[in-house]
Amino acid sequence: MGASSSTSELERVGECVWELPAASRPDMRVPVRVFADEELLASIVDDRSLEQAANVATLPGIVDASLAMPDVHQGYGFPVGGVAATETPDGVVSPGGVGYDINCGVRLLALPLTADELAPRLEALVHELSRAIPAGAGKHGALRLGAGSFDRLLREGPRVLVEELGVGTAEDVERTESGGCLPGADPAAVSARARERGFGQLGTMGSGNHFVEVQRVDRIFDRHVADAFGLREGQATVLVHSGSRGLGHQVCTDYVRLMDAVEARYGIVLPDRQLACAPQSSPEGRAYLAAMAAAGNFAWANRHAIAHAVRETVRRVLGAAAAAGTHQVYDVAHNIAKLERHGGRELCVQRKGATRAFPAGSDELPEAYRAVGQPVFIPGSMGTSSFVLVGAPGSLELSFGTTCHGAGRHLSRTAARKRVTGGELRRELAEQGIVVRCPSNPGLAEEAPFAYKDVERVVEVVERAGLARRVARLRPLGVVKG
Amino acid sequence: MAHRLVEHVGEIELALDAESEAGLFAEAAQAFAGLVDGSEASGPGPVQVGVSLAARERPLLLVEWLSELVFLAEVEGFVPARVAAVELDGGRLRAALEGVLGRPRHLVKAVTLHGLELEREGEVWRGRVVFDV
Repeated sequence: MGASSSTSELERVGECVWELPAASRPDMRVPVRVFADEELLASIVDDRSLEQAANVATLPGIVDASLAMPDVHQGYGFPVGGVAATETPDGVVSPGGVGYDINCGVRLLALPLTADELAPRLEALVHELSRAIPAGAGKHGALRLGAGSFDRLLREGPRVLVEELGVGTAEDVERTESGGCLPGADPAAVSARARERGFGQLGTMGSGNHFVEVQRVDRIFDRHVADAFGLREGQATVLVHSGSRGLGHQVCTDYVRLMDAVEARYGIVLPDRQLACAPQSSPEGRAYLAAMAAAGNFAWANRHAIAHAVRETVRRVLGAAAAAGTHQVYDVAHNIAKLERHGGRELCVQRKGATRAFPAGSDELPEAYRAVGQPVFIPGSMGTSSFVLVGAPGSLELSFGTTCHGAGRHLSRTAARKRVTGGELRRELAEQGIVVRCPSNPGLAEEAPFAYKDVERVVEVVERAGLARRVARLRPLGVVKG
Repeated sequence: MAHRLVEHVGEIELALDAESEAGLFAEAAQAFAGLVDGSEASGPGPVQVGVSLAARERPLLLVEWLSELVFLAEVEGFVPARVAAVELDGGRLRAALEGVLGRPRHLVKAVTLHGLELEREGEVWRGRVVFDV
């Protein structure tokens, strides 16, 4: 564990920005910058996330600051909601800085009908979604590829599903961060064990906080941008949260182990063993980036396959016209490392529980969104709202074009289970009109809404800090939990 | 031998005590089985699994051991019920497990190195490990 950082050394440097100076600890190379108001800051200093962000500030090659988003909470190595950008080519990359669920992320689908029109079939839709999308641990999906196609999918992402299986559309791929394909992916860098874990899991949700949620757009904050995203008040939407499943978990496991073994060779000394890292230019760093890209492409293909299952379910429950009119708004990653240009420098931006939020004008965005900015989706929890945001102009300078990724936990899973049972929570949500399908009562209780921070406050701080702007609020109608 | 779950906001932290190092590894397997409880046996009776692992140091061997259980649970649906034997020799572990093939309820994604501990304190072996869930 790292040396302790005194919260009393935090300096307020903006309305919603706090800084822990680099001089706070002898091993910090840059300051820690926290985006929060007073209330969120009180929660942040209550766990070890600030200490973990200070540990990240010790990474060789880190530039500007170790960042903590408003939803930051204690993780392992990096805090969840932490961002570090390192110089290329010799700054380090840390597999733990991306996390085990490589390219965990969120995809939003918009249905061509209102929530009121959906209401008579809502329960049937949620029930059929729970049957169509395998949830829970392991669980094998319906989509199977041959070994050659699987390698191609690791290199190229979801476009392979469109071209080889007719699953999804080319427009879905275009409306995915990075076109659903990180360059440099090398299937040979992915271990046999990682392949074995992931091979049958395409189109599966996984467990923990993963979900598929049916929602209603209950408020529009920015009509112009909402129009560009194809969203209108009262509309029904489906939000998908999943990642790279066992394949990504094993890639991270493999490379944390490798970097832990070799970092001394590069003279790297770390305050937390889980920060294990190596220079990007080293053989280990290059291999990790190639394997991580493959896992990232797998994750985009996984959410693409889940979205296909959603459309097929909509077809069965609501008809062919509803399925044909269901369009993908966008898909964002929130656990990933990417090479990006910021301030004239090429950097390796490592986002752990943090979402890219590029403003209007970025070449990285699909044509349809270039004039308004990148869509960002911030899931709340089962009983609270989720938000659609758009990257704000200042985000590039403030946060390497990054914002938060969710509400952020503030209660442990054990504490959540002590406060409510899964059965009680099902009844409470039902009383709010929210249909729930979850294979595990304890698993449901662990994800209770009160275990999370107030998402409304988190996105308000995001907006006040200038990282992103609110576009729409989405209310849950039905949830399928992993 | 004993284990307990330590409060952690985002993940699951496991603290272990045992009278021997091999006993601590056995206790870790029992703790893991507790985390994936609720599984329903789907196969015909108990199954035996042999495990052989190596690592360059003992704390990492604990991580490898639990990572193997994660893999077996995810890919095979194997939930350990009893650790029949654990042998430690240098950086090597050999173990025999009995369990069931079922449906693990709450699969651990991975075993981290964060706060990893395995040490002897007097007559007691203590371990600490954080799971990503």
